Amino acid sequence: MAPGGGAPNDPAEVVRRPGERAELGRDDAAPGDDDEELLAPRRGRTALFTAAAVGVVLVALVAVLATSDPASSRLADSPLLGRRAPVIEGTSLLSGEAFDLADERGRWVVVNFFATWCEPCKAEHPDLVRFAAAHEAPDDARVVSVVFSDQPADVERFFDERGGDWAVIDDTTGIVPAWGVTGVPESFLVDPNGVVVAKILGGVTAEGLEDLLVRAQAGPQGAEAEASGS
Amino acid sequence: MPVGGGGLVNAAVGTAGVALGLAASLLGILTLAVGLRSKRPALLRLGRSYAWLVLVGAVLATAAMERALITRDFSLSYVANNGSAATPALYNVATLWGALEGSIILWSLVLAGFTVGVVVKFRARLTDPLVGWATLVMLVVCGFFFLLMVGPANPFTRVAGAIPTSGPGPNPLLQNHPLMAIHPPMLYLGYVGFTVPFAFAVAALVTGRLGEGWLAATRRWTLLAWGFLTIGIGLGSWWSYEVLGWGGFWAWDPVENASFLPWLTGTAYLHSVMVQERRGMLRVWNLSLLLATFSLTILGTFLTRSGVLDSVHSFTESPIGVWLLCAFAATVVVTVGLIGWRGDRLRSPGSIDSPVSREGAFLLNNVLFAAFAFVVLLGTVFPLVVEAVNDERISVGTPYFNRMTAPIGLALLFLMAVAPALPWRKASGELLWDRLKVPTWFGVACLVFAVAVGARGVSPLLAFGLGGFAAAGAVRHLSMATVAARRQGASVFRAFVGRSNGGMIVHVGVVVVAVAFTAASSYTTSATFTLTEGSSATIAGHTVTYEGMNPPDVTPQRRQLSARIRVDGDGIYEPALNQFPQATQTIGTPSVRVGAVEDVYLTLVAVPERTGGPVVLGVIIEPLASWLWVGGGIMGFGTLLAAVPPARRRRTQDPVATDAGAPDEVGERAADDVERVPTGVH
Amino acid sequence: MKRALRVAVPILVVLVALAVGASGSDGPRTDAERSQAIAGSVRCPTCAGQSIASSDAPAAAQIRAEVDRRVAAGESDDEIEAALVGAYGDGILLTPPSSGVAGLVWILPVAGLVLALAVLFVAFRRWRPDAAAPASAADRLLVAEARRELESRSHER
Repeated sequence: MAPGGGAPNDPAEVVRRPGERAELGRDDAAPGDDDEELLAPRRGRTALFTAAAVGVVLVALVAVLATSDPASSRLADSPLLGRRAPVIEGTSLLSGEAFDLADERGRWVVVNFFATWCEPCKAEHPDLVRFAAAHEAPDDARVVSVVFSDQPADVERFFDERGGDWAVIDDTTGIVPAWGVTGVPESFLVDPNGVVVAKILGGVTAEGLEDLLVRAQAGPQGAEAEASGS
Repeated sequence: MPVGGGGLVNAAVGTAGVALGLAASLLGILTLAVGLRSKRPALLRLGRSYAWLVLVGAVLATAAMERALITRDFSLSYVANNGSAATPALYNVATLWGALEGSIILWSLVLAGFTVGVVVKFRARLTDPLVGWATLVMLVVCGFFFLLMVGPANPFTRVAGAIPTSGPGPNPLLQNHPLMAIHPPMLYLGYVGFTVPFAFAVAALVTGRLGEGWLAATRRWTLLAWGFLTIGIGLGSWWSYEVLGWGGFWAWDPVENASFLPWLTGTAYLHSVMVQERRGMLRVWNLSLLLATFSLTILGTFLTRSGVLDSVHSFTESPIGVWLLCAFAATVVVTVGLIGWRGDRLRSPGSIDSPVSREGAFLLNNVLFAAFAFVVLLGTVFPLVVEAVNDERISVGTPYFNRMTAPIGLALLFLMAVAPALPWRKASGELLWDRLKVPTWFGVACLVFAVAVGARGVSPLLAFGLGGFAAAGAVRHLSMATVAARRQGASVFRAFVGRSNGGMIVHVGVVVVAVAFTAASSYTTSATFTLTEGSSATIAGHTVTYEGMNPPDVTPQRRQLSARIRVDGDGIYEPALNQFPQATQTIGTPSVRVGAVEDVYLTLVAVPERTGGPVVLGVIIEPLASWLWVGGGIMGFGTLLAAVPPARRRRTQDPVATDAGAPDEVGERAADDVERVPTGVH
Repeated sequence: MKRALRVAVPILVVLVALAVGASGSDGPRTDAERSQAIAGSVRCPTCAGQSIASSDAPAAAQIRAEVDRRVAAGESDDEIEAALVGAYGDGILLTPPSSGVAGLVWILPVAGLVLALAVLFVAFRRWRPDAAAPASAADRLLVAEARRELESRSHER
């Protein structure tokens, strides 16, 4: 230990007293400092190494932050992809007929979550109508809508005004949380084997859905890559 | 409505203010740099004029924006996007800090104010290179914020095309409560206030004057910033309790964490700086804490303003993120570089005799605060890191923060009780017991009392016991010090103020907050009732009776439906639901029956679908919740007292006098020795 | 003996009180309390940072209802959390997972704290000054005298 080290409150160390003024350009590093410098040069290097390590960690943090996308564009993934579709079972609000997603094997199904109070849902609706109509005759794909936080009466009016005659299921059994839906509109594509192959956040377009269908038929990778689009 | 001409004036004056601020900052930086390099005092003295010019620029910009908001000049995009013809006057003024661009104006105004504060305070030392460098650093930060207003966050852009006649108004959540009008300015005063000690720390590193001069020079500034930050955080928490309607006051969300991080490092600094003043040790550490505090304010601003993390309070994404990130990176590189470069000068002389001593306690305190800050920072950014590493999406929220910080908090409470009783250098067991006897038994009594009134769970009970221990310790220290100072002939006021006593009052405030926080988050009871008119429900010994709806209260900006609820047969409380035309979601206004023992927190979950139908009422019983705000107030008060110069005692420079092994009464005095260090250049 | 006793008594009282206090603190019992506890650790997907217990957003309300349904159906906390993770991903839980890269969030602070305490320990040893001569009676007398003098001077002022 440095001999100077033990001296507490070395007068040279203490605070500049009131009224004391430094001269311009005077370096007032305490004399004690210089003694120390000569005697124990090791700690200074510790400071350097620690500073360098901290710097590296922080630069890495900056790099992570700089390359992070905004939170809002990071959500199109779903753990359901590649897994069996959760149950959708119920009575259609429009026709009163029973619907069960499990009965739709052999067809592609677009599962659309919507609400009448949601503007993008209104915007995407004509495209869903067009998509459903185009696939009605070949009967190779269907649309089913699930109501998200809404009144049945409003839903009926919505379809009266805007067309569409597919099954519309009101969620009373926890369909929304089973599909991991966070907001509307959100849509999923279920393949003929009942496996979820894609999730679309936000509004769909008829062209987008057709494109997705083609990719999905080509193989699962194509569909997943597409999922963040639309 | 003064659209055309008035609008032009506002935009022109505002832009001129921003330009003036930027130009003055840049010229000031240049002048000071030349002055420092060529050692020309005349140039250094000019720094003061530039600081004033920057302030004039900031005032012009603020005034122009406020005028635009008050006169509802919708030709400015900021007003068109955030103001509305219907917003009441108070919120209209407060809209200045309701969105990104405006809050940058406020930020630069506060910063310019602090810069002028520094040049005025140190007017006698302007030619001192330390002050010169500090002023230069402050001007650099000012310049950065004015640059933001010229570049990515220009508040004075004009609406393209037709001028709207009204705007959407501020976010409904932000125009729901008057607290929102004062919480952000307080927070900014705290955030920005830390620029002053930061500037002096950088100046000390650059000039190599690493003696304690710069510390003393900035002590009050740091205290001031810390106090404002404390009050700002407290008000924010109070606001979320009063407005958000879930009965909570702290959610560990990114914005809260962003304000809490500099508070933690700032608090660590306020403690460890005493070790440096007293023993000349921990220089690197203290500088690092100040540099970290400032960097964290910038990082926090980035995290909350860039949209990288989303949060209830944060503003929408904007290109400003890149700028802030660059500022953070630059700050980190410069400060880490400076510390690495000056590491040789920073070695601490001095030594520590025993871990069981005041300085030992401060060191442990710092380890704990650093760990606390690390947990909060890690939890906040960790989801981003994990996603960057392996594309996994995780959340880190309240359960994590509570679990990780509870042990640290308990350890800090313990330390808070013991540390003031420890003398510097070394403590004997006898002395320690003598000082801790009463606090210990008081803590034990608190614990037993808590168990007796039915509190359960190990960590809440520990918090109550340690809280009692710490509070009694602080009160004991306070009364001893006051009495001792009185005996030395100080006036009642002078005997009561000062850093040590103020600090003890802050400690009492912290204990009150900690106990209230523990009680309110551990023993909350909540339920939802569907009540028809005239019917009652009972929860945790409280009866709530629904007495009917009030007629709708419709103003141009919102439609409010409120219910009349009688609580425990006496007062009427009116929780409400607000519909804002611009928002799809309804926003509740809770109503709280505040009590010393527990709050009854009422929310209107659903209004009757037809007249006379039932309402759905949420009721939350929160024990001791109101003490959170009381505790916050005590902390603010204590900070004020700590900033007032105490009774002066003769300083002892004789090293033997405070050496280890001194008799008890000397040790007791040594405990208050902090006060003897002169408080700097005033 | 007496010295040991005066420390032992408060410790004993604290231990007894804690034991009494801990005995009554079993987990939440009613369905409503269980739902509330689970909801507090589930993230509201549209309002990051908040739990579904503290949010009025539609998605939060729907997940809350789902939690209530599953609690009423008698599922365990783990089953309910697993079901939500299956639909929304790990990010739905506010408690980060304890395995894999994500587990570092639990380990790093503990490791950091241990490291910091170790550094502190070493520092304490290093900082310890060479055994200074203990203050003699004469030293103390000198100190006391100096103090008295200082005191009297400060009174004069």
